[in-house]
Amino acid sequence: MRKSKLVRSVIAWLLLSPLVVVTLFPFAVMFLTAVKPRPEVLSPTWWPSEFRWSNFVEMWVVTGFGRALLNSLYVSVLATVGAIIVAIPAAYAMSRFRFAGYGAMRQFLLISQMISSIVLVLGLFRLIAAWGLIESTTAVGVVYMAFNVAFNVWMLQSYFDTIPRDLEEAAWMEGAGRWLTLRKVFLPLCLPAIAVTAIFTFINAWNEFIIALTILRSQENYTLPIQVFALVAGRYTIEWHHVMAAALLATLPVAVLFAWLQRYLVRGLALGAVK
Amino acid sequence: MHNRALPYLLILPSLFLAAVVIFWPVYDLVQISTHDVSRFGQLRDFIGLANFAALADDPDFMAALWRTGLWTLSVVAGALVLSIPVAMILNSDFYGRSVARVIILLPWAVSLTMTAVVWRWALNGESGMLNSALMGLGLIDQNIQWLASAGTAFPMQVLIGILVTVPFTVTIFLGGLSSIPDDLYEAAALEGASAWQQFRTITLPLLKPFINIAIVLNMIYVFNSFPIIWVMTQGGPANSTDILVTYLYKLAFRVGKLGEASAVSLVMFAILLIFTMIYVRLAMREREA
Repeated sequence: MRKSKLVRSVIAWLLLSPLVVVTLFPFAVMFLTAVKPRPEVLSPTWWPSEFRWSNFVEMWVVTGFGRALLNSLYVSVLATVGAIIVAIPAAYAMSRFRFAGYGAMRQFLLISQMISSIVLVLGLFRLIAAWGLIESTTAVGVVYMAFNVAFNVWMLQSYFDTIPRDLEEAAWMEGAGRWLTLRKVFLPLCLPAIAVTAIFTFINAWNEFIIALTILRSQENYTLPIQVFALVAGRYTIEWHHVMAAALLATLPVAVLFAWLQRYLVRGLALGAVK
Repeated sequence: MHNRALPYLLILPSLFLAAVVIFWPVYDLVQISTHDVSRFGQLRDFIGLANFAALADDPDFMAALWRTGLWTLSVVAGALVLSIPVAMILNSDFYGRSVARVIILLPWAVSLTMTAVVWRWALNGESGMLNSALMGLGLIDQNIQWLASAGTAFPMQVLIGILVTVPFTVTIFLGGLSSIPDDLYEAAALEGASAWQQFRTITLPLLKPFINIAIVLNMIYVFNSFPIIWVMTQGGPANSTDILVTYLYKLAFRVGKLGEASAVSLVMFAILLIFTMIYVRLAMREREA
């Protein structure tokens, strides 16, 4: 006997409910603390007596949120755009040309995706210091770019390989050159994959912690994760309602982006990670 | 012929960028770890493996090494055990499935730093919402100072580690489950196989390659995971929640023992390389299959 869909749905939600509660718990904590009036923050009640929306405005001014937001946008956009521009030609070459060293390049890409920045952080710090670029958000953006290139090439190649060559060959028959074909036929077809890859890189860069923590030392250069961390670390009194408001504002854009595009992101990643 | 050089030219920028951020730091770390080095990074005499030997004699390092193993294994195993049933539920057809998927995958989009900051607050001894929630439910009758000792802090960090590892793991398993044809289950059901038998003889074997890949990838990610422990306790109190990454960071940027810090980096690099080789072999075998 097949149980009705309604019964199955109730069972499914019941089974998932502990995980759902634990997953949503931090969001609830963030939100409820962020809107509490200051005197109530330290009293361990869940519900605020009133929703103090002005906390967000106050936090924005007091913590210098706007500047950190701009810094985060700058490094993330630099990393995303840079990585895509560098990765598209490489992925195209790997998908459409036969050449010696192809296998070695693929292995190198796979391995370099696994090497995390934390293991190399001391070496990277010295590299950046040798160039006199400590405190440079541009340097941080470029490092993010470099660390995401391998992933970008890998993802894009997986997708490029699924696009039939006939289309390009048809365009060549019509007398279009390689470059024109690339621009007018091939790349427009790849736009969804490029977008998915770019969004992944953006989220990675937006959330990165250790490189930013190491390279960006003064507050005017902080990105959002470092800014929020600085509100907590080594302080005698922590203004938790400001911290939570900042964390919420920093998290919301990527969370919404992710929820909206989740299906495509997940399919794209499965293609890239497992294939 | 220019066409033969073309693919190499197209690849060069990517190769160059990826290589600079990997090979230069590795070369530099090898240099520092095998030389006597000042606090400010000046290299002096070649001292061979003395820094590595110093690590082996350092009880804090050995404790961190051991704890890293415990951390990695418990988080990876916990995430695995939790993710298989969750992925199976999310793969079945029920009302609100897409909402459930979004909720469960959501922690993935949130930076580990923010997650850790929020939990640090939620676990606060006097004003934390976890204590007040547990008290409200009548599970505890006095506040627990979660982060004040390793005995409670480290298990909490492991649980949070599991929580943030689940989304990625579930995603891999969803990919695997969707590749199993429904006919198999229908045929098994006709033969009178119970749900548990179906799981053991169909789901588990067919999911195995995905489980392998999830284990290796998660090992790599969890082994490298820095923000959760750093933000919540900075490896404290008294190094009692340190794992290799946090200990490395302290050595390098707090204590200024650059030689030992680079030795830790290289030890980690070697361990990572081993994991990665395993992953490459699994991934390549998967392609051939």
